[in-house]
Amino acid sequence: MIRSMAFLLCGSIALTAVAQDAKPTAVLSGIDNPCGIAVQGATGHIFIAAHSGVHRFDPKSGKAHVEISGFPTDIYGKGPKYNVGPLGLAFWDDEHLIVGDGSRPDGDELVRIFKVGKDAVHKDHEPIKEGAAVATLGPIKASEESAKGEGNFYGVASNGKSIFITCNGDDTKGWIAKSTAANGKPGALKLSIATKVATEVDAPVPVIFSLDGKDLVVGQMGEVSTPPGDSLLSIYDPETGKLKKNYKTGLNDIAGLAYSPKTKKLYATDYSWSDPKAGGLFRLDIDGDAIKAVKIASLDKPTALAFDKSGVLYVAVFGTVPEGSDKPAGSLVKFDSGL
Amino acid sequence: MNFLPRCFGLLLCAMFAALVASDAISADPPLGLPSVPVPSDNPMTAEKIALGKQLYFDGRLSADNKVSCASCHDPAKGFSNGDRFATGVEGKKGGRSAPTVINTAYGTLQFWDGRAKTLEDQALGPIQNPIEMNLTLDAVIKKLNGINGYKTQFKKVFGTDGATADGIAKAIAAYERTVISGNAPFDRFKAGDTKALSEAAQRGQKLFFGKAHCSACHAGPNFSDNSFHNVGVGMDKKDFDKGRADISKLAGDTGAFKTPTLREIAKSGPYFHDGSAKTLEEVVDHYAKGGIPNEWLDEEIFNIKIASTEKADLVKFLTEGLSSPDYPDHKAPDLPK
Repeated sequence: MIRSMAFLLCGSIALTAVAQDAKPTAVLSGIDNPCGIAVQGATGHIFIAAHSGVHRFDPKSGKAHVEISGFPTDIYGKGPKYNVGPLGLAFWDDEHLIVGDGSRPDGDELVRIFKVGKDAVHKDHEPIKEGAAVATLGPIKASEESAKGEGNFYGVASNGKSIFITCNGDDTKGWIAKSTAANGKPGALKLSIATKVATEVDAPVPVIFSLDGKDLVVGQMGEVSTPPGDSLLSIYDPETGKLKKNYKTGLNDIAGLAYSPKTKKLYATDYSWSDPKAGGLFRLDIDGDAIKAVKIASLDKPTALAFDKSGVLYVAVFGTVPEGSDKPAGSLVKFDSGL
Repeated sequence: MNFLPRCFGLLLCAMFAALVASDAISADPPLGLPSVPVPSDNPMTAEKIALGKQLYFDGRLSADNKVSCASCHDPAKGFSNGDRFATGVEGKKGGRSAPTVINTAYGTLQFWDGRAKTLEDQALGPIQNPIEMNLTLDAVIKKLNGINGYKTQFKKVFGTDGATADGIAKAIAAYERTVISGNAPFDRFKAGDTKALSEAAQRGQKLFFGKAHCSACHAGPNFSDNSFHNVGVGMDKKDFDKGRADISKLAGDTGAFKTPTLREIAKSGPYFHDGSAKTLEEVVDHYAKGGIPNEWLDEEIFNIKIASTEKADLVKFLTEGLSSPDYPDHKAPDLPK
């Protein structure tokens, strides 16, 4: 006898809506595989993590230089393959930048904190060497909780009291690591939230605080080798690590998250690894238990994003290196305030 | 845990429930599984499922009238065929193991290499494959329309003048969406029944979700991430099967195959895409060694130090924990004449 059960209709319902009217402006090009962005509140400078190091860009002068260099290289993927270095960025305070590592094997990767100061961008700037960090957190070595040890620190969030780092070492747990400050200094980096255990989906990537600072907002990328729209937006209590809400976004590979300081709206980037044409910048509209991803602009493999104080949105874009070229195709694009 | 349905579209499904025909199937899914996703253009009805089941078990859908879907996806053999490779018309052998149909309703892509996006897309493939059932669509439609019982049913279910390719695909897919296994001891244990798993199976469960690293890919309610991985199987052959890469054209997918469900795994051996592991013990040994090294080997496959007693516990979890008392032990129906 055929077993009967619940069957749900789906398939014809659009996963996302499209409202593509925002136009990006390229402000920096030739960046090699940019993965992280942070905006320095005091100066408005944009810091971009790329394979070659952490770049500082001054929107007023339009000038940029490498602020921090000397990271090793790791290779992501098995075809296509990408050279990667530092990944996630966030400011600890106005002068100290937290940098998540992607340049070493899992179990060896580090979280560094650098004093970057408020100097203007200038041509003869001597980059800070990676080893000159004022603080180093990790590594998180292999253990019962992480078979290979942790690494690929894509996302960094900080409220000046705690630092949260998304990890992509042990794919059975999908850890977010946490450092709690004591006496104004960040403490040891410890495994904190097992996102895959909570959501049954792989790969926490972006992490930010909610606008009121009470929640941790995490993008769960899901599988990259297929485009099934499996990315999640998950809300956690940063104190207890408890999962509070979990939304199926319909996005393929959520890579970045940011709230607009002006409109309070939430934006996400979709890298869409195996179907790049579907990727881009999206607005995530949440209404109770429902979420709708509205496409704002198509972008060629976007990664991180961050707003400045005035509401200008900056997005790091991987881009595609043309066949036969060895020139980096990454860029920093901006969307004028209004989003 | 507030775990939402598997796709955003499902959130709106309640809006569509009222549109389902009055004879649509509706009941709770088995413990441990979400509701089965159903495309809006192929709603489930009892008549359609019955037609699909007949087609599934009918050898007349093949050139020699001997090979049906059930020949290679046999309910008595875990909806696979018990052999290393599938056997088609005139005894022809395929190059891959027959994947189980159990819970394939939850898959986002079908076949070992994911070349079909839906069960409907999948259903017509083997019929036309020269080494499986070897019939053109025109030929199978003509055959079915020569059988009054089928012609009448297609008209009733789809409103068409007999069988069509679309109707065949939809009916078989609808039936396959009923081949579901949940409510296993694992599910009951997870739901709070502490006696549902033996102590050995509980130890195996801890290994599965921890040190043995199985849940890196065998994740979620159906124990599959619906993705593709090179797990180092068959990669020592000179002319190895490129798997997903032949479809995606991405070098990184070389030798990668879809993560199969592990539900009812005790019944669906031999294992791996090439059926090269006769037993689950061999499977566990393969993973413990880290698979056959190759440049596309998935990063989740690496040498794991695991004792022989732990291997036994792991197999115990797989066999005891994931075998349901409600196994879909479907029998062949009476076929139309």
